[in-house]
Amino acid sequence: MLVPTIEFSDERLANGLRLIVAEDHLAPVAAVNIWYAVGSKHEQPGKTGFAHLFEHVMFQGSAHVSKAEHISLIQSIGGTMNGTTWLDRTNYFETVPSHQLEIALWLEADRMGTLLDALSQENLDNQREVVKNEKRWSYDNRPYGSWWEHMLAGLFPEDHPYHHTTIGSMADLEAASLEDVKAFFRMHYAPNNAVLSIVGDVDRTQVRGWVERYFGGIPAKPGLPVVISGDVPPTLGRERRETVADRVPHARIYWGFRSPLFGDPRLDALDLAGQILAGGKGSRLHRRLVRDERLALDVALSSAGCVLGSSVTAGWATARPGVDLAVLEAAFWEELERLATTPPTADELERAKALTEADELGALQRVEERADRLSMYATLFDDPDLVNRILPRYLGVTAEQIRDVCRDVFRADNRLVMVYQPAEQAAGDAEAAA
Amino acid sequence: MSPQGPQGMVVAERPVAGEPRPYAFPPFRRTRLANGLSVVAVDMPGRPLLSAALVVPGGATDEPAELAGATILMARALAEGTADHDAVALVEAIERLGASLHAEAGWDALSISLDVPAGRFAAALDLVAEVAARPTFPDSEVERLREERLNDILQARADPRRRAEDAFIDTIYAPTSPYRRSSAGTTETVERLDASTCRAELARRFDPARMSLIVGGDLAGIDVERLANERFGGWVADPATRPPGPIDATPAARHRQIRVVHRPGSVQTEIRIGHPGAARLIPDFHALAVMSAVLGGLFNSRLNRKLREEKGYTYGAHAGFDLRRGAGPFAARAPVDTAVTVPAILEMLAVIDGIGGGVSQVELDEARDYLVGVFPLRFETAGAVVGALSGIVIQGLPDDELARYRPAIQAVTADDVVAAATAHVHPDELAIVLVGDADAFLPDLEAAGLGPIEVERDPVPASPEVGDDEDA
Repeated sequence: MLVPTIEFSDERLANGLRLIVAEDHLAPVAAVNIWYAVGSKHEQPGKTGFAHLFEHVMFQGSAHVSKAEHISLIQSIGGTMNGTTWLDRTNYFETVPSHQLEIALWLEADRMGTLLDALSQENLDNQREVVKNEKRWSYDNRPYGSWWEHMLAGLFPEDHPYHHTTIGSMADLEAASLEDVKAFFRMHYAPNNAVLSIVGDVDRTQVRGWVERYFGGIPAKPGLPVVISGDVPPTLGRERRETVADRVPHARIYWGFRSPLFGDPRLDALDLAGQILAGGKGSRLHRRLVRDERLALDVALSSAGCVLGSSVTAGWATARPGVDLAVLEAAFWEELERLATTPPTADELERAKALTEADELGALQRVEERADRLSMYATLFDDPDLVNRILPRYLGVTAEQIRDVCRDVFRADNRLVMVYQPAEQAAGDAEAAA
Repeated sequence: MSPQGPQGMVVAERPVAGEPRPYAFPPFRRTRLANGLSVVAVDMPGRPLLSAALVVPGGATDEPAELAGATILMARALAEGTADHDAVALVEAIERLGASLHAEAGWDALSISLDVPAGRFAAALDLVAEVAARPTFPDSEVERLREERLNDILQARADPRRRAEDAFIDTIYAPTSPYRRSSAGTTETVERLDASTCRAELARRFDPARMSLIVGGDLAGIDVERLANERFGGWVADPATRPPGPIDATPAARHRQIRVVHRPGSVQTEIRIGHPGAARLIPDFHALAVMSAVLGGLFNSRLNRKLREEKGYTYGAHAGFDLRRGAGPFAARAPVDTAVTVPAILEMLAVIDGIGGGVSQVELDEARDYLVGVFPLRFETAGAVVGALSGIVIQGLPDDELARYRPAIQAVTADDVVAAATAHVHPDELAIVLVGDADAFLPDLEAAGLGPIEVERDPVPASPEVGDDEDA
């Protein structure tokens, strides 16, 4: 085994804050990472995009920190920072020179405890505009930019918490009020809904003392965690097809599937299937569609692990100009079915595992990634030690398990097929026909 | 409960920093093989994922203008077949080692980079040597890569931000400059490329005396010099080899230019404002770094603070210099809501115009402290260290360049920043390039009186011919 075991402490403060500390003295750096167990899945109808908008508000100041000061303070101590929002969580993180760790903890505690003291209509309005521009930039003004919105809407029913994307809708963002933001904070932001992981050149005992000092006084909130349900059948039940006209130069076909939940060992096998099918130039789809038959300009297939009802497995192929899309679609599907019928060869499996192992080694060498993983596994599975067991799990997957999960997932009655067509082409066709 | 603070739940008093642990950029040793190939080894104990780069000077500026894109095509084709392996066998061999091997070229150099667990380094280095010295450039693979690039050009035209970058460099550089075009070439030039172009481009760069192998990571038990000598020691320079020449970075104009690429219905305008900037080898590099951070590098840079945190015009506004062997672009960039296109341009111009007027002590401190403090964070992994050393080699910088970075940044004064701004930012020569819905902002833009405006409207796409299924 190439990847070293990560030793960590794991405890809870009296207010419920879970604290995980892993010492690593190789470099004079320390990573701080907080996961709050709130994501876009917690949003109510008409209030999509709130979890993410809220994440922006978290950088607008708190009782002892002025607007934008969080970021300038972290940068001026030589640190990096960000926050991200996803279906299942919101996380905030800083990586700092290790002698500056205490200031990062203080900043996180101040906003966890006192965010609403500094909240203003002006700051909310400002960040609403920033987020609307983020949506325009990341989705609306980008070729194929709407694919993820279509994917989630197609794989999950309208009343499912995953039906809408994290960025939300412009109308809902427009409608977000100060009261909404306050209610969101009161509902979800509390020490007993958070995991704080600290990794790097630190002393556990000292960190424990600092965390108690800065976070210990923040009261727990009753009624947390907020549990929501989102059971769906394991498959779509029928094929769904969609055509999207977009300002793109090449047609592209997207495939989407419901798949086993994050944490389910069958998803490990499906991740390796993704590697074998589309994980680089040695993969089956790349070899056949891009190199040998020259049907596609690129191919992709991977899974996003989710914990509510179903994960999302998605792939695509961009059509080479002049290629019959039906031929491309059939070839792509044939490769998926082939792996669903016959296990991969020993060599394919060995290569997929070697790459997975090296990827894991590469990812975990950074303290930031280790802290994020510890927070993630603790938040989603109450099992931070999964960081040490996930690679052995991948390495233990058999060829038959890969075939079996492909058989369960790559079914015609479990596929969403979306075809992006060049809009100018479509318009030209219409004009010619008129 | 902590007693401090008005809320009684958090601590009002800010903590102060502890004692910093000493940090030095990882020391490296440099040796030369008998044929002149330079070997740089950086031991980083505890980093079992090794990183290596074989750096070959001469990039996309060192190719004939009519064959633009040849270097990058050649680099991508290196791993598409060798005298020992066809393309598929090669990628399988790489994957079996759990390695990643990429050959890529930029403006200044070609680099074959490798990441591999330490125990398999020697076997992976065999493959690096193979793709560098014995590529076969099979016609079919080169043709496929060429076609991929031609299709990528279509994608670049459709993507507003790539379109803006291409229109920007096309606006600011004179026709004689290679920087006017994309480093991967244009449709016209890429169509001329084939396997023989690739062979010629490799040959003219193949001189071991100018190449460097840089290896970083936990090198316990690994004799880098010996392994390099066994694989590269027998290389001899190709007779066609020649060193990189001077670079023409002539500006297109010494006055304001405004260019609008009309993209009907665009919900944002991609703004680029700038002019040809500076080369990497300048005496005031550190002052320029601090000035760039204040202007458009930090989150609280003048540009981002104004456009994002005050106005909400954008998700992010940035500015900086692309420092190459020649004078790469200086650009301020922001994607903004279409409705605020003109106000955003005016704010950006005001911010750029103001940087020569001085910086506050707070700005100076924040920028210096960030650049000095973040330095150790940048070099946590072997890949990052090898990348930085590749830059040293490619740009011909002294070996102590990284060691002296932090003191040199710390020594930058407010006067130095103003001097760097005066020397490298020229408000009267800024080009303004916009990709967006011109119909929505053109009247306001004209009314702003910023200068003559050139508007580019894409031809309406032709109706497809009957029976012709070539739809690109």
